[in-house]
Amino acid sequence: MQPVVHFKNVNKYYGAALAVENLDLSVEPGQFVTLLGPSGCGKSTTLRMLGGFETPSSGEIFLDGKPITKLPPNKRNVNIVFQDYALFPHLSVGRNIAFGLELKGLASDAIHKRTSELLSLVKLEDFAERMPDQLSGGQRQRVALMRALAPNPHVLLLDEPLSALDAKLRQQMQIELKSIQQTTGKTFIFVTHDQEEALTMSDVVVVMNKGRIEQMGAPDTLYSRPQSRFVANFIGESNFLEADVTAVHGNVATLDWDGHVIHADVNGNRVAAGDRTTVALRPESLYCLADKPGDRLALKGRIVRRVFKGAHSALTVQLTNGKELVVQIDPVALSQLHSDDIWIGWREQDAVLLRD
Amino acid sequence: MRHYFNDLPKTALTAGYWLFVAYLLLPLTLMMSMSFKDANFIAFPIQDWTLRWYAEVLQDRQFLDAIAYSAFIAFATTVCATVIGVWIALVVATEGIFGRAAIFALACLPAVVPGLINAISMRIFIRVIDLPTGTAAIILAHTVHAVPFVVIMALTRLRSMPKNLTDAARDLGADPFIAFVRVTIPYLMPALLGGMIFCVLTSIDDFVRTFFLGGYKPTLPMLIFAKVQGGMSPQINAMATIVLIATALIGLYAEYLTRRARK
Repeated sequence: MQPVVHFKNVNKYYGAALAVENLDLSVEPGQFVTLLGPSGCGKSTTLRMLGGFETPSSGEIFLDGKPITKLPPNKRNVNIVFQDYALFPHLSVGRNIAFGLELKGLASDAIHKRTSELLSLVKLEDFAERMPDQLSGGQRQRVALMRALAPNPHVLLLDEPLSALDAKLRQQMQIELKSIQQTTGKTFIFVTHDQEEALTMSDVVVVMNKGRIEQMGAPDTLYSRPQSRFVANFIGESNFLEADVTAVHGNVATLDWDGHVIHADVNGNRVAAGDRTTVALRPESLYCLADKPGDRLALKGRIVRRVFKGAHSALTVQLTNGKELVVQIDPVALSQLHSDDIWIGWREQDAVLLRD
Repeated sequence: MRHYFNDLPKTALTAGYWLFVAYLLLPLTLMMSMSFKDANFIAFPIQDWTLRWYAEVLQDRQFLDAIAYSAFIAFATTVCATVIGVWIALVVATEGIFGRAAIFALACLPAVVPGLINAISMRIFIRVIDLPTGTAAIILAHTVHAVPFVVIMALTRLRSMPKNLTDAARDLGADPFIAFVRVTIPYLMPALLGGMIFCVLTSIDDFVRTFFLGGYKPTLPMLIFAKVQGGMSPQINAMATIVLIATALIGLYAEYLTRRARK
């Protein structure tokens, strides 16, 4: 299938400062794609280049296979939902949504039909005559979304649209956004710095850092198979183990971690005996045992810190080689540990080698 | 009563304020009441009341012509000053334009240059460009004087405008001109109305520029000035009262409009 959006070797500089570097990105039609990264990682610049508000310093952008790099925003078949909604304060809700339709030259009854159709999609039928400042944050959000969807764009761009909402409303809107995306079948490109948002809604997450793509993939793949320290740290939490490879058998590497023998998944990396690498281990992938298991590999350690976090606790465990691991443990498992001296284990596929 | 003695500074402030209001309103009240006095001499007491002076004024061709002429100049001035002022405000608000601060300072200069200096320099200027004194010259001078007020009001409003608004319009298919007409202008409207009414009032009020640049046709202030030279009369009081009430109404209406637009 032809990608609906294609960035080909795109660079963007502001003076000497690099905003986006060597960006190659293809988006399949109908997908919910999230650009995820900390502020200044280039995600918003990427979105604005696609919307036509920034011009790449070099490279090409294609929409439906046609180059759009030089087209002004009004000539592109994409629409943006802005972070602060940018509703026109002097126009009613209905007129806001109709704005793009009027500019397309639609007849007034067609505009009216489409507007009320969109308003009913978000259950705001009775709000057509309201002014934007008479709406709540969530309602404004919905109106901005419908205004951007009204001209029937090929791709809908969303620039951190949920960041101004409170936590409860944000979760509700995440579900609503996802369902609107599924109902309309549109390609959504969503920008956020919130990993939870990215994991909840996306088909594909593109993790960006310092103007480059760190890794892209399905949310569960990104979570369970991070390729870099940055991804492992930005999405969820991780323990990082610096260890030397002693042997590789298929997908499993045996490593020496300061005197302890451990196993880890090579995670697509080419490694050989003697390489120094980093292994990422999720705190929730680790389990604690009161006694040494007979059949599996486990490391002896001592609990040095307990932090109660409600549904679970975070234990800091010091191992006999002096290193510390953070373990997430549920209350049932915690109650079965009689003393601070425990054994820690993990499934070898849950430990992954990183490329850096 | 205890309250007043305990808070002496506050009481003094309030009293000072009311004294000022009295000082402000007393002459106006005096003028207005004299315009209803049925006698030729301006002095108390008023024994008989009349509307005779108003009837005379309203039938006075000279007065009506002067009002029409002043209104025409005010209208032309407002149109010119609004177009130029908004244009300058847009230039000053645009990032990356060279010398924005200088443009702004120069545009605002006429607001602080003394009217007399302004008038004399304009008089010399129109001689140089071979423009006769009269309507065009007056409008030119009034516009130069009115532009700074439009610039300042439009710019203040423009600075509070989210940049995303025009981006959103562009995104939804508007070219820069349509985005300007359909989003920027409506957003500026409250400030523009205020600025326009300010233009009208300064233009109608202006004496010194008109005096230096005008032709034979008198504007309202010039007519009143000419009449006062011949001695004060109840007729002048009636004229002034009409002008006072009309301008007060325009001012209040402007305030009402901007308030409504802000809501």
